[in-house]
Formats: sequence, structure tokens, C-alpha cells
Amino acid sequence: MAFMQPAKRVAIIQGEHAVVTQPDTVITTLLGSCIAVCLHDPVSHVGGMNHFLLGEPGRGQTVAAADMNRYGLHAMELLINAMMQRGASRLRLTAQIFGGGNIQAAFGPIGTKNAEFALRFLKTEGIPVGQTNVGGTQARKVEFRAWEGVASCTLVAQAPPVRAVIPPRPPAGNDVELFG
Amino acid sequence: MPAAAAIKVMVVDDQTSMRAMIRRTLQDLGFRDVRDKPSALEALPAVQNDRVHLIISDYNMPDMDGLEFLKAVRADPVIGKTVFIMLTGSSEKSVVQKAAELGVNNYVVKPFAPAALKEKIERVFGELS
Repeated sequence: MAFMQPAKRVAIIQGEHAVVTQPDTVITTLLGSCIAVCLHDPVSHVGGMNHFLLGEPGRGQTVAAADMNRYGLHAMELLINAMMQRGASRLRLTAQIFGGGNIQAAFGPIGTKNAEFALRFLKTEGIPVGQTNVGGTQARKVEFRAWEGVASCTLVAQAPPVRAVIPPRPPAGNDVELFG
Repeated sequence: MPAAAAIKVMVVDDQTSMRAMIRRTLQDLGFRDVRDKPSALEALPAVQNDRVHLIISDYNMPDMDGLEFLKAVRADPVIGKTVFIMLTGSSEKSVVQKAAELGVNNYVVKPFAPAALKEKIERVFGELS
């Protein structure tokens, strides 16, 4: 499905999410092995999409706090909470899943694992999944008309650049110093 | 040096996957008695009926949020002094300040690394063994 000249486009990259509460706004992203989950509440018309790099850190794996939102476990919570703050009910959410291509053979079936994580997460959280377009070996472009809850996904030739998860670095200083 | 295995913990988060992740993190830190509830409304009577030493609660929950839960715990004459660590979003500094006014012991900003949770617990209990 092709969209006709939307009023506004919001592009997100890995580690980001966007929430829309008005019509004629399209959230877009370009996916390789990453996953984008589109969520929609049909009553409040709150819709959102995230874009995450990996499912969840391995047990015992050290990851910098600033990089945690590039994992699906946290990316999903950030998206759901952002939507709830805008009036969505998690009980009404429906999901669509895109991406998870196994673009580079050297990385193994990382896209497949990412898609499996997304499906497992949504099943665990009791969020029904509608359209899924995952796997394969090509990149995807996703457009999500979030107010309406309508997504389109097209295969594209060029995969987006992937930034590796970097080693931990000192805290960014976003703590509030109230406690010793 | 308190033994983590001797500390009873209640984890409260409306997201099943997050509760599971926190449970795994706590178990990796040596905690053995870790309970969890999907809402503060369920957690409050649970900790009133069977006391714990530590409550780790999300802030952003429907029906009763983390601040309301903290306030209810602090108002209870029996469980009022239970150690309470709040999980908040990075953009919720006002929530942290409000939680401090209500007597929270510490807080962790989501998304967090396991080491951050360990550090905040140890700031309250001392170094864990």
C-alpha cells in the first residue's frame, strides 16, 4: 500500500521510538536485521513504532546504560510507556512486526533471532500480533500511519548502517543526586 | 556485609518481560527469595500479608503508580520502613524528587544495566555477599 503525500513524516533509527496522536503522520524507518514493532490503540488512536537492534542482552553481559534502549526488551517498554502516557491502554494494543532480515551471513541468523524475540515478547505481554513481515535476506522500509494503525513494508536493496553496541562508558549524568 | 540470599524481594512491574529480567538479574546477584506482581494493587496486600525486606517497583503503572504505591507502603505502620527502590523513566526527574519526598530509599533509571541495579541496592543495604 502506498501512502499519498502525508502531512508529516517522522523518521526513526535504531534505539529510537516515536508516538503519534494525530492523523496524516507517518513514522518511517529502514531495517536490516533490526526489528520495528508498530503498536496501535484503535480507541485512543495512539500509535507508535520503535526500532531495536537486538532482543535482550545475554545473561551476565555488560552493556552501557545508554545502549540498553537498543535492546528490544527496553525499547518495547519505552514505546508502551510513551503510548500510555499519551492516552493508550495496553489492554487494547495490537502489534505489527517488521524486519529481522539476515542481511550479512557473517552475523549468522541474527535477524531471525530478533524476530523470534519480538514474537515471544508480544506473546508474553498478551499483545495480539497482526501483520508480520520478517526474515529473508533483504532490507525493508516500513511506513506506519500510526493514528490509523496502518503499516506498509517494502523490500529495498540497500541495508541501513548498523552501529555496534559499544562497551560501557561512564554514566551520562542523568541521575538526580538525592541519595548517597 | 548482608547476604543477598537472606533478603526477601518483591518486584512490581506491569510488564511481564521486565519482571522476568529483573528476577534474573537479582538471582544472578545472589537473591533467592524474589516474588513479583504485575501491579501495585496486587503487590500491596501481598507484602502486607508476607513481609519483604526490599520492594523494587516500577513507577509507570496503570491503576496505582509507583508513587501511590510508595505512599501506601510508607503509611502502613507494619511495613512502612520496608526498603523501597523505584524504577523510573529517564525523563521523570520530577518523579524522583516526589519519590524522595515520600521516602523512597533509592531509584534506578530505565533502561538500566544490571550493574546499576546492584549499585543502588548496595547503596541501601551495603555491599552484598
